[in-house]
Amino acid sequence: MTELSLRLAVSFVQILAEVSLVMLTVAIMTLAERKVLGWMQDRMGPMEVGPYGILQPLADGVKLFFKEDIVPAGANKAMFALAPMLTMVVSLIGFAVIPFGPDITLNIHGLTIKPFVIADINIGILYILAIASIGAYGIILGGWSSNSKYSLLGGLRSAAQVISYELNVGLAIVGVLLLSGSLSLVEITEAQSGGFWHWFIWGARPDGFFPIHTQIFAFVVFLISGVAETNRITFDLPEAESELVAGFFTEYSGMKFAFFVSAEYASMVLVSCVAASLFLGGWNAPYPGTIFEYIGLEQLAWIEHIVWFAGKVYFFLFVFIWLRATLPRLRYDQLMRFGWKVLLPIALANIIITAITVYLFPR
Amino acid sequence: MTFKAWIKTITFYELAVGMKATMSHLLHYKPITMQYPHEKRILPDNYRGMLSLLRYDDGTEKCVGCDLCEAACPSRVIRVVSAEVPGEPTKRYAKEYYMDMTRCLFCGLCVDACPVDALGMTREYEWSVYDKRQLHLNKEQLLAIGDRSFPVREKQLELQHPNVAFFNVAFKHLPQKPD
Repeated sequence: MTELSLRLAVSFVQILAEVSLVMLTVAIMTLAERKVLGWMQDRMGPMEVGPYGILQPLADGVKLFFKEDIVPAGANKAMFALAPMLTMVVSLIGFAVIPFGPDITLNIHGLTIKPFVIADINIGILYILAIASIGAYGIILGGWSSNSKYSLLGGLRSAAQVISYELNVGLAIVGVLLLSGSLSLVEITEAQSGGFWHWFIWGARPDGFFPIHTQIFAFVVFLISGVAETNRITFDLPEAESELVAGFFTEYSGMKFAFFVSAEYASMVLVSCVAASLFLGGWNAPYPGTIFEYIGLEQLAWIEHIVWFAGKVYFFLFVFIWLRATLPRLRYDQLMRFGWKVLLPIALANIIITAITVYLFPR
Repeated sequence: MTFKAWIKTITFYELAVGMKATMSHLLHYKPITMQYPHEKRILPDNYRGMLSLLRYDDGTEKCVGCDLCEAACPSRVIRVVSAEVPGEPTKRYAKEYYMDMTRCLFCGLCVDACPVDALGMTREYEWSVYDKRQLHLNKEQLLAIGDRSFPVREKQLELQHPNVAFFNVAFKHLPQKPD
């Protein structure tokens, strides 16, 4: 077996595992959202399919698979079919650079493999930013090609919103980049090892505890902008039900609709992964080292790391649902004012302050 | 803006209050909804459900075909075709009796109007059908609803209208109209 084909096979297996993990999380999220939202509103959520409705995602999938695929009259057929695929693909390939486990390397037939990250490229976070903005194209294309005024309005809103909040995301992570000195998510996560006070949300220096480099303001800006970028409530203006029917996917049905919805959930998972990696230490436990190391099972430490990463990601996903259960939708001018006049100055001030503290107290 | 209000704004205080409210509902989870087909709510005593025609305990229909229900009905649900009882010119009965339940608004005026308590409101409410013609009920169907909903026929005498004796010739134990 040549090295290239081995490399291809390994990458394929990794991609398959990662995509199935993400899609499993998406399926769990579609159920969890309805259940948790129901519990928060004194309802029960879905209860019919399986015990306590736990098979509901399966039933939804089967139903959507057998639905009629309607293309509206006057729609641009190619674009109409392209848009959901684009959104779906883009929201899935962002996961390629997410390290969801420790940075260990395996050696198979002279080939170094990192089992917990598909592509450890040195511009990881830039790659995610670039990919996330392409996702907006899918939404705009879907809105435009549907030949429907509601879809078009939803698409345009999404364009304006993503441009405004993409900027804040980009600026919010600059502080983290200043601290870690790297764009690779693997190295950013490595720089936060050794206890929660080394996470960038707390921001102690490697030898101290005082939060001199704290990134908590950047974290808040990132989280709010992340909610806006995934078109979630409170920033769900592109799909505002009460105004635009369903926004950019008004005219979609069947599997195309399922693609849009699962892409939305997948991008939520992606934002949660990035937030966990950048600010909450990724797969690092909030205490130095791991419990498995203390009891002498160093080979199994990766399990603990992965559990911590999953826990952080699921915490963020819960926050997404929690926000949805609590907050109403913003008005459009409020959205723009908040993005440009509140979050942007905070992010800029955070860059300046972080730059000064990093210069005065280098890590 | 006072200093206190400013602090509240920059710390998202109002958001935190709202988040706390939803979280407390999650932690003290007590659903107020019902899983309808599996569990059903307890109906109030005076629940006005499906209409029905009633019989006496000997199986004869109470209805005397007086048409007062038709006159009382605000939605023109009821249609009565009255006829003489064959061989007894003083007695009348409803030869045909139709109710178009698609129009009924369950106000109960027909039940109030009936002088012989021939109409009753049952506690049935699951009357969804695929074909709305199935809701155009005739006398036999209405009597069948009454039979299954009121197995104990005959209301108590003191609850009956004083005019019952006047209209209803079947009551032998009540004072009859002098000949």
